[in-house]
Amino acid sequence: MQYGMIIDLERCVGCHACTIACRAEWEVPVPYQRNWVKRLGPTMTADGMASTYYPGLCNHCDKPPCVDECPADAVDMTFTDAKSGKTKTMQVAATWKDPFDGSVQVDKDRCLGCGACADACPYGARYVNPELADDDSEGKVDKCTFCKPRVEQGLEPACVQTCIAGARIFGDLTDPNSAVSQYVKKGAKGLEVKDGHIGPNARYYGKKRDIGLLFADYTPELADMGSVKRRAMMASMVKPAMRKAKDIGLLGLAGAMLVKGLSEDKDNK
Amino acid sequence: MAFNLTRRKFLQTASLAAASVPLSKVVSASTGVTKSALDTTGTAGDKTVVGGICEMCFWRCQLVGKVRDGRLMKLEGNPKSIDNGTAICARGNAGVKLLYDVDRLKYPMKNVGKRGAPKWKRISWKEALDECGSKLKGTVDQYGAQGICVFPHGASAKYPMHYFERAVGTHNVSEASFFQCRGIRDTAYVQTIGKAPGEKVDMPNTKVLFFIGDHLGENVHVSHIKQYIQGLQNGAKLIVADPRFSASAAKADIWVQIKPGTDTAYMLAIMNYLVQNNKYDKAFVEDYTDGFEEFAAAIKEWTLEKAAKECDIPAEQIKEVADMLADNAPNVAIHPGRHVSWHGNDFQRERSLACLTGLLGAYYVKGGWVPPKGPKVGGVSWAKEDHGHEFDLNMNHHEDEKIYPFNPPGTPTDLIRDCAISGKPYPIKSCVVWGQNPMQTIPNQQKMKDLFNAMDFVMCVDVMPTDVTAWADILLPEASYLERYDYIKKGTQWDLSKEHQQYISARMPLVEPMFERKDQIYICNEIAKRMGHEAKIPVKTIEEMVDKSLATANLSIEKLRAEDGIHIRPGKDPYGVPEDFEVRLFNDDIEDAGYPGAPTYVAVPDNPKGFARLLYGRAPVHTFNRSQNNVWLNNAMPDNPVWVNDEVAATLGLIDGDTVGFINDEGVESATTTTVKVTAGIRKDCVYMYHGYGSANPLMTIGVGAGVDDTSLITRLAIDPETGCHGMRNNFVKLTKNGKVLDIPA
Repeated sequence: MQYGMIIDLERCVGCHACTIACRAEWEVPVPYQRNWVKRLGPTMTADGMASTYYPGLCNHCDKPPCVDECPADAVDMTFTDAKSGKTKTMQVAATWKDPFDGSVQVDKDRCLGCGACADACPYGARYVNPELADDDSEGKVDKCTFCKPRVEQGLEPACVQTCIAGARIFGDLTDPNSAVSQYVKKGAKGLEVKDGHIGPNARYYGKKRDIGLLFADYTPELADMGSVKRRAMMASMVKPAMRKAKDIGLLGLAGAMLVKGLSEDKDNK
Repeated sequence: MAFNLTRRKFLQTASLAAASVPLSKVVSASTGVTKSALDTTGTAGDKTVVGGICEMCFWRCQLVGKVRDGRLMKLEGNPKSIDNGTAICARGNAGVKLLYDVDRLKYPMKNVGKRGAPKWKRISWKEALDECGSKLKGTVDQYGAQGICVFPHGASAKYPMHYFERAVGTHNVSEASFFQCRGIRDTAYVQTIGKAPGEKVDMPNTKVLFFIGDHLGENVHVSHIKQYIQGLQNGAKLIVADPRFSASAAKADIWVQIKPGTDTAYMLAIMNYLVQNNKYDKAFVEDYTDGFEEFAAAIKEWTLEKAAKECDIPAEQIKEVADMLADNAPNVAIHPGRHVSWHGNDFQRERSLACLTGLLGAYYVKGGWVPPKGPKVGGVSWAKEDHGHEFDLNMNHHEDEKIYPFNPPGTPTDLIRDCAISGKPYPIKSCVVWGQNPMQTIPNQQKMKDLFNAMDFVMCVDVMPTDVTAWADILLPEASYLERYDYIKKGTQWDLSKEHQQYISARMPLVEPMFERKDQIYICNEIAKRMGHEAKIPVKTIEEMVDKSLATANLSIEKLRAEDGIHIRPGKDPYGVPEDFEVRLFNDDIEDAGYPGAPTYVAVPDNPKGFARLLYGRAPVHTFNRSQNNVWLNNAMPDNPVWVNDEVAATLGLIDGDTVGFINDEGVESATTTTVKVTAGIRKDCVYMYHGYGSANPLMTIGVGAGVDDTSLITRLAIDPETGCHGMRNNFVKLTKNGKVLDIPA
């Protein structure tokens, strides 16, 4: 299974309902965002005057370049397929691609807030939320989860539910009968990176001139992985003991005192 | 709890306060994946409160609230709605940020400084109401009821507006929704088909959509957008006439890049072509129209070639449009528009839209203009009283006729302003502003300031410290649409081809008002008591008003709440022309009043050398000037870039993102700057910007100085002669950059 999002630009009117609903649903602070709408044009194209929109979000890529860059210590995590009940245990850092639904998720407890994954994302779909800063991080990474907690309860993603034009369609790209797969058959395509293949799972459908404009303006390039890796390495060297303490999951008074003790211990060295 | 508390800090505080309760991870039952306590929870588990009716704009979608610990976290479309459904727009979603805006008015305030440069002192409600009551009563006692003028807007202003019109007895009421917006449309259609048209075009089921200036997509009303998109998906052709490649033009089959102000010439040429070539609906014209011969003769001069020259568009394209309409008639949707106060020649344009619809037989047919058959719910308000026309400023008492014969309800704005400023023919000495921001809705800000300076007393009631509130003596904080009962929203299913249904819903509070905010019934009644009208008060509370209204439809607040906020019942088929329906192609009454009986084109002044015409329109994330302080909406579109034609920009040396200001053709400069948007998608003779930016009130900490206030540059008072409404696209501007004035090349 691979969740995906169709953006139908024939329908989209660029109204921003999706971005604001996401803010409300997930308390995303200004000026950060989990999704966005950019207006393109009007400009003259080979197919005539064109103006359209780039409603963007995390692409929950087939090969997400963000996941590999996470420097947090890997732990064993057991995933369960919501449908079949099958389980799979994988070693994951603080961000991973779900083996069953294909979504890319983050564990904020283990996130170092280093921002390496955000730098690695060619779409700019991640941000470090400074409101979640703590003693050993500048914040925690946040991103579109495909509204996993809502979807698990049988609800639509917040952006889909509020879309006034029916321009956002969410579903399983591996199910040939799903609405999203029908769009792919009609020609919906992802904003693949230049000279690479990461398999973005937001797919865009629209008039030729509009799709042409979108792909001309917003086809991304892969990030400079050299600098991403340097940032990740720096983060991995800082305060490992504190992270271990926090992994216990205690943030109560006792936990806070333990963290404080470890922190002082380190500072005294 | 302070609202700016971050989630992290909240968690820290909570965990320290309850050391024995560790913040544990939440494990999802279905997937086994853990969720951090640092993750926001989402609103799916929050309490759902029904009965919300949006008023971020005036389409008024039906809402539910998601409430957590007494705090409204999110607004959603009411899943029971057969209008907007679960969808709400950006503004609707951002309603929570209006509700909790830290800049919102909290307490009654008295201006102890000067009007326009206020110093605010918090006072009690009693003191505030005593002051309002005694000052307004003083004006009535000394100058008569006509000594009060009222600028109302929105659902909360209706009851007080009725109070001042009916119980107090002043005609001097100017609603921006009429005199600076859609009033011309309504009266032009009333003079043509006998009723206001709304935007009741059956878009989902049409074959051709015809827009003049409508920019749906930038102009967003949820169920209207649903209709529009459904029409396009069903294969309708879209024709858009606009000087700019608007959001709608971008979806159009034919974009008519018309010269601003010439739309009526374009319409006349289409109609003349249909008549001359026998492409109109003869049976409909025979059965349902009046004055065809005179009409046809009057528009005969408008050949394709003549209009092509006047409108600066190809004659062949006018023919293509006319043929497309004729070939698909009667299933064509000629959109009546909404904000239509453009050039001071607008009544005639709106008349021509109504007449074109008639020539095509496109009334009451699938895909045409079709008023849905909605439910009836009675209103409850102040009893109507006859106050005569002695002090009606719109009466020419020598001739015993109206000055603006086809005015929408109320008195044309500049008749009020001129009287207030000059004191002639009588003094106007008190001003009540209720929910309107005349500084950013009515052209010529200086004249508005002159009005306020001529007053003995000015009071404002609002939720936000809008620009006009700086001119108040007493400023009263109102409960917002999320904290009060009032508006009854009713209608039908959004797609007329689907099962016929009707709905009735009423606004109910989703949360309690905070601080000392009060609803309009309380405020108005307390003022009425102090003015000696206690015996006439129609309802004691806002709940009583809503319940009495609902009772006329055998409903109540309680019943509606039990039905999840919306009562739905079987509807009626809206198609089929009523027997007495008539389209007055030529209208004797209009001719008798001294104006052309057939739709007529009146040219507007051309650009002075070196200037571009200033055009404005709607941003999808804003409603008029009302939402500019909303932190989420501001973030989505922080300023209003001015669209400049790419060739013009190249000549001026402007590039995308440059910072510019403006000076208009009457020497008025913009107080702020905005950025340049260089585009091939606008004519060379005009520039365009979104309306609703650039607040001048420093108490609007988000909106102040963000972008440019287009209204500040609209100083020329073009008045539509038939209606007395303003035309607001007759000013011209030059751009300024780094103190240098840039001449727009011809």
